[in-house]
Amino acid sequence: MKLAIVGGGPSAFYVASRLLSRMPDAQRLRVHMFDRLWAPHGLVRYGVAPDHPEVKNCTHKFDQVAEDPRFRFFGNVNVGARSPDGFPHVLQLPLADLHAHYSHLLFASGCTLPALHSALSESPWCMPALGFVHWYTQHPAAPPPLPLHTLDHVSLIGNGNVALDVARILLCPPALLEKYDVPQSVLDVLARSTVRHVSIIARRGPLHAAFTAKELRELINLPDVAMAPLDPALLAVPPGVTASRQQTRILQLLAQGSRAAHSSTRKTWSLEFFKTPTGLDTAGPAPRLLLAHTALDAQQRAVPAGPAPPLPTSLVIPSLGFRAEPAAPFFDPALGHLRTSAGRVLGADGRAVRGVYASGWAAMGARGVLAATMMDAYGVADQIAADAVAGSEGPPVGVEQVMNPAPADDQPPPLVHDACAAGRVVQYADWKRVDAEEVRRGAALGKERERMRWEEAEAFLRGNA
Amino acid sequence: MTRNIHSSPSVRHGDITRPEPGTGIKIHFKDAKGALVKTIEANEGDDLLSIAHEHDIDLEGACEGSVACSTCHVILTPEYYDLLPEPDDDENDMLDMAFALTDTSRLGCQVKLTRALDGMTATLPSATRNMFVDGKKSTH
Repeated sequence: MKLAIVGGGPSAFYVASRLLSRMPDAQRLRVHMFDRLWAPHGLVRYGVAPDHPEVKNCTHKFDQVAEDPRFRFFGNVNVGARSPDGFPHVLQLPLADLHAHYSHLLFASGCTLPALHSALSESPWCMPALGFVHWYTQHPAAPPPLPLHTLDHVSLIGNGNVALDVARILLCPPALLEKYDVPQSVLDVLARSTVRHVSIIARRGPLHAAFTAKELRELINLPDVAMAPLDPALLAVPPGVTASRQQTRILQLLAQGSRAAHSSTRKTWSLEFFKTPTGLDTAGPAPRLLLAHTALDAQQRAVPAGPAPPLPTSLVIPSLGFRAEPAAPFFDPALGHLRTSAGRVLGADGRAVRGVYASGWAAMGARGVLAATMMDAYGVADQIAADAVAGSEGPPVGVEQVMNPAPADDQPPPLVHDACAAGRVVQYADWKRVDAEEVRRGAALGKERERMRWEEAEAFLRGNA
Repeated sequence: MTRNIHSSPSVRHGDITRPEPGTGIKIHFKDAKGALVKTIEANEGDDLLSIAHEHDIDLEGACEGSVACSTCHVILTPEYYDLLPEPDDDENDMLDMAFALTDTSRLGCQVKLTRALDGMTATLPSATRNMFVDGKKSTH
């Protein structure tokens, strides 16, 4: 088996890990991982909030995967459709090159685009949470920094953990973030921020809250930041409903409220349940977020229930989840991700494509924390291994044959091979050198790490920095 | 090994000293179907995640014992579960997100062994396959 993996995030590494540890040696397993980002680890590097360093401990396992001689990583390689803005330096690799040079293919390419709200279009007053996350993680496609020194009030649309991450970064006393993996340029902007209030707008109620107790607890415990108390009626469990363990604990936390008393602090936040945006009015001197009340229908869906007072705000940040790129092969527009069954990618006729798989958010949509991604990845890896065994004993699983059943060599496609020689592609050993240098530069500043941009990393790897 | 200044101690081979055979606290690890994986001996103060790793038992520890994930979820028997101190808020926050949570679930990294736990069984809730069988993934 010569497997190409598109994407270098946690799902990709967990699939590789499982296959490398479980596949019989006789299979002549080789695993090549391609990422259009120059650095590996996907959302662990470019998504996990900087004040959650423990979550990043999983990279130790990924490093162990990369030590296996059967494994290779190729960063700065974009497979298939041309990548969006922000990647001028990447190598474009046609998907056909993977078909020709590999027996198996796994899409672990994630969900890289923000889900949008129909009533809100991007404007100077409205930026998706993903852009904000890209900014504080110094992602290659990061937008310019927001003028936080001119803003007073931020409205987050959606109440998942990403929304709470953004709220926490905006509200946290900047000095508390200095020791973490936050770029100096980001710290400088946060230090000048004049944001005083963050409204988190949720179309359903506390029982349907998308955040987890951990994220809520962190927001509640922020020093010198207070939560606006909620109406106790909102926190009552309706008759006939049995709250789950997690729901019960979240309701208790919401009732308890923030550690800091309301009106005792300069910065505040509020949860606005049962509201949905209907537009953004930017005609006046200050923007106003237009809102409607919502109610739950019989299927527990939020439906509009009359206009709510507009909310004066400086910036709207929709945080409504993510979707895969529509140009991705096997993308299903109705799902917002690839069409799969038990890890196998399905063609237009609904039948499995032989040797082609998908895992992680690319396969299941953008949901779940690292543990869910790991479980899914192990399941897909087991499926790949089981199909390989079944295929060696009987007819191969899947009908359409797009992959090369017997690749000639252990090499990546010639385009990638040549780009490696030219120093355009980042291999894992290169990354480990950059990683160590980032940690060294961070230590000099008394912090976890000081991140490099690709230009800096390239200069460092060429010995010019 | 590179350690940043805030990570919790990492859980790796070598952090554990194995007791003299016959003198340690006996722990039985079982798989989700109840089959015995291994019986091991450990010292007072060791945690379940560390000893599982020491003995190559398939218990994940993605965050390496810093209570930031639920991958070292284990299920204990009620009589031993009751001997442990209550899980704290941080552990409960993570247990919320564990697969196949039970009333006697704990994070392996938070179960510190005492003599009273000698003979305890820890079951690994391996739920990999269920993700496909159920056709529905956890939302967290």
